[in-house]
Amino acid sequence: MPSARSTEQAAVVATDAGKRFGGFWALRGASVTLRAGRIHALVGENGAGKSTLLGILGGRLRADEGTLDVAGTPVAGGSPRASRRAGIATVHQELMLVPHLTLAENLFLGHWRTRGGFVDRRAQRAEATALLDRLRVDLPLGRRAAQVSLAHQQMTEILRAVLADAAVLLLDEPSAALAEAERATLHTMLDQLRSEGHAIGIVSHDLDEVLGLADDVSVLREGRLVASRPRSAWDRPSLIEHMVGTRAVTPSARAIPAAAAPVAVQVRGVRAGRSLDGVDLEVRRGEVVGLWGLVGSGRSTLLRAIAGAQRAAGGEMLLDGEPRPLPRSVVESGRAGIALVPESRRAALVAGMDAAANFHLGRSRPWLSPQAERAVVRPWLSRFGFAADRHAVLVGRLSGGNQQKVLMAKWAGRVPRVLLVDEPTRGIDLAAKTEVLDSLVDLARGGTAVVVASSELEEVLAIATRLVVLARGRVAAEFDLSEEPRTVAEILAHGFTPEGDLR
Amino acid sequence: MTDTATPPRTPQPGLVDVGRRYGIVAVLVALVAVATILHPTFLSPANLGNILVQNAAIGLVAVAMTFVIIAGGFDISVGATYALGATLFAGLTIQTGSTLLAGSLTLLAGVAVGATNGLLVSRIGVNPIVATLGTSSAVLGLAYVYSDSSSFSVDSREHPAFQNLAHTTIAGLPVPVWIMLVGFVAGGVVLTRTAYGRNVQAVGGNGEAAWLSGLRVPSIMTSTYVMAGMAAALAGMADASQLGVGQANVGTNVALDAIAIVVVGGTSIRGGDGAIWRTAVGLLILAVLTNIFYSLNVAQNWQLVAKGLIVLVAVTVDARLRSRSR
Repeated sequence: MPSARSTEQAAVVATDAGKRFGGFWALRGASVTLRAGRIHALVGENGAGKSTLLGILGGRLRADEGTLDVAGTPVAGGSPRASRRAGIATVHQELMLVPHLTLAENLFLGHWRTRGGFVDRRAQRAEATALLDRLRVDLPLGRRAAQVSLAHQQMTEILRAVLADAAVLLLDEPSAALAEAERATLHTMLDQLRSEGHAIGIVSHDLDEVLGLADDVSVLREGRLVASRPRSAWDRPSLIEHMVGTRAVTPSARAIPAAAAPVAVQVRGVRAGRSLDGVDLEVRRGEVVGLWGLVGSGRSTLLRAIAGAQRAAGGEMLLDGEPRPLPRSVVESGRAGIALVPESRRAALVAGMDAAANFHLGRSRPWLSPQAERAVVRPWLSRFGFAADRHAVLVGRLSGGNQQKVLMAKWAGRVPRVLLVDEPTRGIDLAAKTEVLDSLVDLARGGTAVVVASSELEEVLAIATRLVVLARGRVAAEFDLSEEPRTVAEILAHGFTPEGDLR
Repeated sequence: MTDTATPPRTPQPGLVDVGRRYGIVAVLVALVAVATILHPTFLSPANLGNILVQNAAIGLVAVAMTFVIIAGGFDISVGATYALGATLFAGLTIQTGSTLLAGSLTLLAGVAVGATNGLLVSRIGVNPIVATLGTSSAVLGLAYVYSDSSSFSVDSREHPAFQNLAHTTIAGLPVPVWIMLVGFVAGGVVLTRTAYGRNVQAVGGNGEAAWLSGLRVPSIMTSTYVMAGMAAALAGMADASQLGVGQANVGTNVALDAIAIVVVGGTSIRGGDGAIWRTAVGLLILAVLTNIFYSLNVAQNWQLVAKGLIVLVAVTVDARLRSRSR
């Protein structure tokens, strides 16, 4: 059990760390110190080297240059096991829980509490409960990992490291997949762990999270650590300036549809999966509708049901005023002019193919003509800000931001009447976010009906003309944003409390 | 997060990459050199022709197996279908009196086996190894039932066309060799130049992405099994024609050999990534090795052991390369 450690003590020190992949330095000359009792945030755009630095600190990667000291002792790196023994634990973006075990069992995975050679469930339960009480965290310990929310899985994984006596916790994008209220719970827990003397390193794209949580902030850009300062020396503009240099990052103005624009698609009483319980939605041509809700509110399910990626249990649809059943397959919705940009880039792109092959997948002519295909792809990719020199690169080797651009171009390139976009900006850098959001507005200006589902309320507010708030599979509220833009605080103050939705 | 894997400029294919992609060709060249040293007549037209004749049937099955594996599947029933092909072709030739009709029906039987595999795997969701293990047993059983555990000897005077399939030569090479060569060329063209080929790669590379893109994933998967069933039946027909006898106890090693050829060539066992030229190289590597073993007087049983080890090495290399490139 970790007792309160003396604070301010240097827990992990990387000096002039550099890492090369092939001939390319992903990180060079980075010096950073994680101290006990402090949260140190690493920020930067995709490809800036944050994950590389985190990998070096956590022992997953061996630095090609520089040194790494853990609690005053030099460590070779490249061995997660050695780092683990030295008290460093990394929680990756892809969670490493065993889905069929309960949260309690997952907490003790690999270091079971035993009595006489048998796993002592009662002792584990007691120890876990004590830990949860101490950290003021509530977890459904008896439920299986596969059945609980992403937030609970995330917290379980962090607590597992704590139970294994890790003094240093490294978290890669811990809140990327969490909705606002869930983040708050996570932050409370991290707060408590900090006060107990843990050194915490965190990679995050969310600047509000960084500014609200961290004691120290290091900014990386293009493989260099450009600044490492205490939180008090930073504000939002200075962070952004250091991350992106001089590029502007605010999305351009939203698209305002003509008042008389016809309704492109309307659905009524859509029920699907476990979450969706009778939702109405209507989108006009040239309009961007924002769909916001917590994880589990049904926002992805709604989009998937409209696009035929998931069978609806009930509901009806009017397409350009014509009643028709909800599509039963992606092929059917595609023919009707509805396209879905799915939530997960990993699930929606073929990693071993280049952008052009991914773009054309599902609608190539029988005989491939690579040249003709590339000519078709080029304008679409450049419209989404995809760099021309990456065209031949396999999609699996692109950064998250570039993958998202390929994904958007792929479905926008089918010139749908209705474009449904699920979480277009998760885990991508600020500049790419701006480009992606701008291009959605651009598509709407061209007459496409766009629906954007996101857990990032701020982004939705920046581009949508209407906001639909989902909670527990129903429409909880609707806001018209075309007349007067609103802030996050206003929406939250408008009688909508998201806490009730945390499972 | 993939940012560590993203170079800032267009990556030049490094020496390591070229080695990874084409190293297998170097292995083949080295083996040919060894074979030529051990056996100076190795590269003589007669010997090369022999190698082709010996490998025509298995080569054809391997081409189809490449499609199955790239689509993310696996087919261990090809050996049984091969045996069924041999018995049916011979038996039906005797029963119907028409080699052409017998051949057509046999091919249809191959299609039926492949379609069954495909439906089990793609629509019902049975694991490919388990599904094809099941059909394998059933099909082999049917072949034994049909032949009453005996063999069909086809009289070459009564049915001259039966043996002509394997013994007719065009430009010095027998028909089965031509069928295999056409199979390789057509397979390569289909895989790299057609939308169907790319769809097969997409289904194996990321089935969900393929499905979300509007591809009919189950049909594409099924089509590869149908191809394998047909190829195996045709290969079995060639075997029966060669011997003038159709019996169910042939084809024991066909599944292992075909998979070995595909994997040794460097097509990923995980699906999505592979090529027909790799299968050609894999076929030649194993053929040359067999040749070397014979010139060194290595006993048949030890050859089997060696072949197994080579497959394990190939699969290990595949796993290592792929985990490193992540």
